[in-house]
Amino acid sequence: MRPLTPRRILWTCAGLFGVLFVMVVISLRMGAYPISVRDIVDTLYKAAMGRREEVPVEFWQVVFGLRLPRIALGILVGASLSTAGAGFQALLRNPLADPYVLGVSSGAALGAIISLIVAPHVVGAIQIAAFIGAASTITGVYFLGRRGGQLDSPTLLLAGIVAASFLSAIIMFLLTMVTGSELRSIAFWLMGDLTAPPPTTNVLGWLGFLFFVFIVAAGAMYTTSSDLNLILTGEQEARHLGVNVNRVKFVVYIAASVLTGLAVSVSGAIGYVGLLVPHVMRMFFGTDYRLLIPTAAIGGAIAIVLADTLARTVVAPTELPVGAMTALAGAPVFIYLMRRRMR
Amino acid sequence: MLGGRTFTRARRQIVCMIVALACCRAVSAAGAPSQAASDKRATRNVTDETGRRVAIPFSVRHVVTLAPNLTETIYALGLEDKLAGDTSFCDTPPAAKLKPHVGSPQTPSLEAIVALHPDLVLATTSINRAETVDALARLGIAVYTSDPHTVRGMLDSVAGMADLMGASEQGAALVAQLQARLDAVHARIAELPLVHVLFVVWEDPLITIGQNTFIADALRWAGAESAIVAQQNWPQVSIEEVVRLQPEYIVLTSDHSESDAASKPSELENLRTRPAWKALKAVEMGHVVVASDEIDRPSPGLIGAIEQLARELHPEAFALNADGRNLVGAARVQLEMVASACTKKECVSCAL
Amino acid sequence: MSAGAGGVALPESQRVPYSASPSLRLKVEQASYAYAATDRSAPKFTLGPVSFIAQQRELVAILGPNASGKSTMLKLLAGLLKPLSGRIEVDGMEISELDLLVRAQKIALVAQESELLFPLRVWEYVLQGRYPYGRRLRFESDEDCLLAGNALAQVGADALRDRWMDHLSGGEKQRVILARALVQQPSLLLLDEPTQHLDIGGKVELLRRLRRLADESRYSVIVVTHELNLAAEFSDRIVLLHKGKCPRIGTPAEVYQRELLQEVFDAPLEVEMGYSGRPRVILRGSH
Repeated sequence: MRPLTPRRILWTCAGLFGVLFVMVVISLRMGAYPISVRDIVDTLYKAAMGRREEVPVEFWQVVFGLRLPRIALGILVGASLSTAGAGFQALLRNPLADPYVLGVSSGAALGAIISLIVAPHVVGAIQIAAFIGAASTITGVYFLGRRGGQLDSPTLLLAGIVAASFLSAIIMFLLTMVTGSELRSIAFWLMGDLTAPPPTTNVLGWLGFLFFVFIVAAGAMYTTSSDLNLILTGEQEARHLGVNVNRVKFVVYIAASVLTGLAVSVSGAIGYVGLLVPHVMRMFFGTDYRLLIPTAAIGGAIAIVLADTLARTVVAPTELPVGAMTALAGAPVFIYLMRRRMR
Repeated sequence: MLGGRTFTRARRQIVCMIVALACCRAVSAAGAPSQAASDKRATRNVTDETGRRVAIPFSVRHVVTLAPNLTETIYALGLEDKLAGDTSFCDTPPAAKLKPHVGSPQTPSLEAIVALHPDLVLATTSINRAETVDALARLGIAVYTSDPHTVRGMLDSVAGMADLMGASEQGAALVAQLQARLDAVHARIAELPLVHVLFVVWEDPLITIGQNTFIADALRWAGAESAIVAQQNWPQVSIEEVVRLQPEYIVLTSDHSESDAASKPSELENLRTRPAWKALKAVEMGHVVVASDEIDRPSPGLIGAIEQLARELHPEAFALNADGRNLVGAARVQLEMVASACTKKECVSCAL
Repeated sequence: MSAGAGGVALPESQRVPYSASPSLRLKVEQASYAYAATDRSAPKFTLGPVSFIAQQRELVAILGPNASGKSTMLKLLAGLLKPLSGRIEVDGMEISELDLLVRAQKIALVAQESELLFPLRVWEYVLQGRYPYGRRLRFESDEDCLLAGNALAQVGADALRDRWMDHLSGGEKQRVILARALVQQPSLLLLDEPTQHLDIGGKVELLRRLRRLADESRYSVIVVTHELNLAAEFSDRIVLLHKGKCPRIGTPAEVYQRELLQEVFDAPLEVEMGYSGRPRVILRGSH
């Protein structure tokens, strides 16, 4: 009998961070622009020392303008989606739940499309509109998904599916009314794109803000991880053990939805990560949510950075959208997991 | 539970706060990466066709194009030595295929573009994404986006691009040449009524062009107009509607890897076997024209496509060496008579 | 409680003192409940008023046919419903006023089935029963592990410790579920028709185990059942329910009177004295 200890959690996370670090280094190294590791390290060092003028303009452009923001965004999006996926799987008591099942991504997509039609070149409009779309969907589905005033998992799932279908129908209608260049933008946005420009020129500030939101939402979800462990063995039983099931469901719903909305607003709907990474982490580290939430977050970051690196290099110089890569890799992983469960 | 839990949460929040503050510090240190020390070289501010202000160096030595029509324009202007790279789709002229590629027009590799050290990147709204242009701009690279909606507009674009690259003379010469050819075509067919055509963008589902498209303008120059009137750019129509309108000609576009001569008969045979299409008079009479795919490309090659299309749609106007427009109108009827041994009882204009 | 790895002792304000009469675990005093009618044809169902007590080391059976109000009674005892009148006290405290976690420390409701979504080991499952004793986000202490081990031993499931929950047989799973309830260190152990899916051997084994647990412990065991003979054989007190009323409370011998049972269960029943000195109910032949 070896119960989970904070120390074990920290060591596991440290190990995974190590893997993430290696992944980041590899990703920094890969790209069409010829720059050696030595030059990259040199650029990073000089940046940290505040000696920007000594760095060749192009090196700076490539490292800080192209590769790092993409990697950073990938880490954030991957961590958000996986954490949200783990949360939804517990909330909806369904191993097939992914962050998009409750219609959040459809709401965000609708917001994005409307902003592309109405305000095509306003900087940051697409992210804000997508987030508003996501937030509205979250609220709507919440009220639809209640039964007797409390969130009820089957009702919530149905409400989410209905919302997703309805929003997709509206999206389809709008797509027929949209012209060539807008259509292209939307198509790529829907596929998932880590190169979207931030709403401000202050890239670091933007990333810092996103990271802050991630920590708050994921942290809130983490506080319910013991509760989730119990809820997974039965809602009534958890109540009898003193779990405030309604409060936990509400917190998880909001936290997971905010994480999903965040990810989708900045990078479109990247699929499979939110569904599969929690399962893979469960395979390695068990189903205890006190360990699963942090490992899923880091695992998701690793997955997206890996997928993005592949997307950039597999058919260079053309760049595939990240979502295409996760789908390509995701399907076989999913099949493998399914077969394992059946054994 | 109150004391313990709030303490942990407070601890966590303090950590967040510190992290956020650290990020803000780093912000002021690193600053926005898009400053790109606007090359110590002299630049001038230009507004491109989408209304963006771009700072372009006075001497442009390396150009990267992000669309096939732009590559074609560069070659037509004789500036291919300045062309540092193009997309994998750029194959006209064939020499363009040998230039370094930066990827597809829609998803080019930004790094590959940077690696070519361009002074100027050319893009167009008809193929490239705004996101690509924005990303390049953020990196401090000058991107000039053209936005052609009409044939005349395309000519202006060509002149503008030539100016940017310091080749105003070549630009003016090319534009004058192309304009002259257009005027020649216009002269031959100006008196004639516009031929109603169905321009087929896609067969199944049947998609045609709207009034505001580039192709519609090119068609007008070729003396034709779309039988379908629509505000949408790519309206989907049913074949029954086409049967009702009975256009005089069907215009298809070739995949430019096949030659026109080879594909026309096979296309016609193909259409003759389709049930609904058979009902069209145009198909029955063999009035099926295969236009070069340059018809949709805002580049110098477009003029050639217009000429070819005009010739096919108004054969009578091109049968003579036109010495004057007046000849065309009157001579037309005589020609028909002479050429086809007029047998129609209704041939009222047969005055001979 | 000692502090173990990651576990912290509960602050003073949260530890609950035992009542003045330490052995009295449960006191139900004129408790009643009524369901509002949701449609005209179904009459309002009223339970009570009912009064009874349970001491530590007692096994009390709440007995009655279907629709007699047994489930309602159980829900009242578990704190899921609040009585419309009267009081239900555990260790001297009104159940419906208890904080969720304190209630979980006092009352353990043994689930019938366990629908696990993801694979879980037996010891992990049992350890979850320690949830009421700590902060919401908690890590199990050494003491928690010790108690879990003891609970498993008490139900004879020690050997199952490292097994996966979904690889257990029905009987093994039930023992594990019971262990998780025991680890809550409750004052009341509630079971709702625990013998439903068991064969006769399983039923006897379960009741024997419950009897032994009651004898060796400081809590009361309350079992809701309709098994007449098992209740008679193993319980100290029987609360007989019939259509929401409580016609008799007492020892099995006191409660099992022929006319009363025949009326309540609407069946031709005979009462005999069994080998153990406890009454036994048999079905009269069909004449």
